[in-house]
Amino acid sequence: MAQLSLKNIGKSFDGTDVIRDISLDVEDGELVCLLGPSGSGKSTILRMAGGFETPDRGAILIDGQDVTRIPPEKRPTGMVFQSHALWSHMSVADNIAFGLKLRRMPRREIQEKVAGALELVGLADYGSRRVWQLSGGQQQRVAIARALVLEPKILLLDEPFASLDQHLREHLREELRDIQRRLGITTLFVTHGQDEALALADRIVVLQGGEIEQVASPDQMYRAPETRFVAGFIGSMNFLACDMRGGRSDHAVFQIEASVSDGPVELAIRPEAIVVTPSATSTARVHRTTDYGTHILVDIDLADGTRVKAMCPPATRLATGQPVSLSADRVTVFRGTEKLADVAPVEMREVAHV
Amino acid sequence: MTTLASPDRSIRKGGQAKRHGRGLTGLLLVSAPVMLLGWLIIYPIFNAIGRTLFVKGDAGVRFGFDSYHQFLTDGYSLSNLWLTLWVTAVCAALLMATCLPLALYLRFAKSRVAALVQGLALFPMFVPSVILAYALIRTIGPNGAVDLVLNAVGLPKINSPYLTPWGPIIGLVWDNIPLTTLMLVAGLGGVSDNAVEAARDAGARHFALLRHIILPQIGNAMLVVLSFTVLSIFSAFTLPYVLGPASPEMMGPFMQRTFSQVLDTRMAVTQAVITFIICAGFGAFYVRSIAKNREARR
Repeated sequence: MAQLSLKNIGKSFDGTDVIRDISLDVEDGELVCLLGPSGSGKSTILRMAGGFETPDRGAILIDGQDVTRIPPEKRPTGMVFQSHALWSHMSVADNIAFGLKLRRMPRREIQEKVAGALELVGLADYGSRRVWQLSGGQQQRVAIARALVLEPKILLLDEPFASLDQHLREHLREELRDIQRRLGITTLFVTHGQDEALALADRIVVLQGGEIEQVASPDQMYRAPETRFVAGFIGSMNFLACDMRGGRSDHAVFQIEASVSDGPVELAIRPEAIVVTPSATSTARVHRTTDYGTHILVDIDLADGTRVKAMCPPATRLATGQPVSLSADRVTVFRGTEKLADVAPVEMREVAHV
Repeated sequence: MTTLASPDRSIRKGGQAKRHGRGLTGLLLVSAPVMLLGWLIIYPIFNAIGRTLFVKGDAGVRFGFDSYHQFLTDGYSLSNLWLTLWVTAVCAALLMATCLPLALYLRFAKSRVAALVQGLALFPMFVPSVILAYALIRTIGPNGAVDLVLNAVGLPKINSPYLTPWGPIIGLVWDNIPLTTLMLVAGLGGVSDNAVEAARDAGARHFALLRHIILPQIGNAMLVVLSFTVLSIFSAFTLPYVLGPASPEMMGPFMQRTFSQVLDTRMAVTQAVITFIICAGFGAFYVRSIAKNREARR
């Protein structure tokens, strides 16, 4: 059990700030996901935590001990790479035993630990195989076993499932979550897959341009994004531009009341927050429906030319061109990048009567 | 439905014809180098072997191994062969000792100095051997630059390697550094950064990293480098001729002298065939290493 702290770390490459000024605490046994688009600096942070890059500014602490200048071979961290990084000239067991041999452990103890690690990742009978005889998923399990067998204080994973197919990725991340919970190991996980972050993390850190946009639990991150970037990056979101006048939005469909100063805003509405009802008098029309089995995604053209996406129950039957009326049960108001309010809109008619 | 599903024989025939056409073009393209190989390499080899085994005499053509027997029982010829093998082995060892650290630096260094080092390492490739030999004579030869500097600071002259076996060794090592380094860097390209980082993460320091991760992964590349280097050094002529000792001498100058001064063409060809057989052994080793590399890549 260990705690990882990043204190005001910054990193530049060739004069360009890749990481600006980031502070983050990962608690004992916590799994934190670093999530962000390419170039957001998430892998650089992970590599700094592992000792493969040295921050230009700030400090990295593990259990309160400053490890900023300590090289990877002396750092109590274990890293799993996206490319597996297994050594092809060694067998599976030799790959896992390598770090233990360097620590000059007795042979019997090494054998026991290797067998335990293989058992943990479900590859008990694969020790004697060569790594190139394994599938991509099995190779990644060996990489996880190799990192875990050294009992690191902090487990670092750099997009470990990115090269695997969707089905295997989902399966492995469930396994990883189980192993991480069972061992209670503090984990920092880098991914650019929001579904992976939402499914795995205790907390998600969304990064953009080398800065933290928001740190929150998956639930909060999805339902209460603090910035426009997070709202757009996590899940899908409809952004509708309008003006606020006297605390009311002037949007033709989604009219809300919020104590927001006058001026242009964007209404952010999740597709699942939109309720679609057939209505002969409405100007909004169905553009396309896509059946995903679990739900139907409906693209709707509004009178002003904006297209919104709505997630409907699988039994919904809507035809292309059919007029529909829309309402939303939760709307977030943004001005620029700043969040102004979370509101539930009132019916258009009700607003008109006020 | 049946019509659609059944194969269209006329299209199939067209396809086969196309494939045959492509095959013919391929054969034509490859025929020129194959014919050149046959004319300039394969034919001279068999011609040379034939000339050493069959001798025209008064009683007609006679078959015999007498020229090989003469070479293998002549002390001077054997000492020339051993000298050549010794120089080749020392050069290969020195080249590996010089170029491996250089290649490791060029592969893993991230600094700008690496580009400068690479430029310097490749520089000898653009210097002709004869110029290099002259430069070495002017530098480490008797009363060369090194002697002048030592004399200026009141130190005794060096024991010059010029006209000793160390003369061609120094020249051949210097001359072969660029190609050996390039081949080793190419071999090291197969060792991924992540594989090295994973080893460091597991606790490997520099020596363990080299011994357990890098060297096993470039083993085949090193075999290729060794075979290639040995082939080029064993058959070298200019540097051993200009910098090497007169007696014993390396096989290159020995062959030339036997041919043009001793005027014993048959013995010169015999020396060439023996040199070729030794080189062919290393060549087979080289081809085997390349094939192994390809298998490993699959």
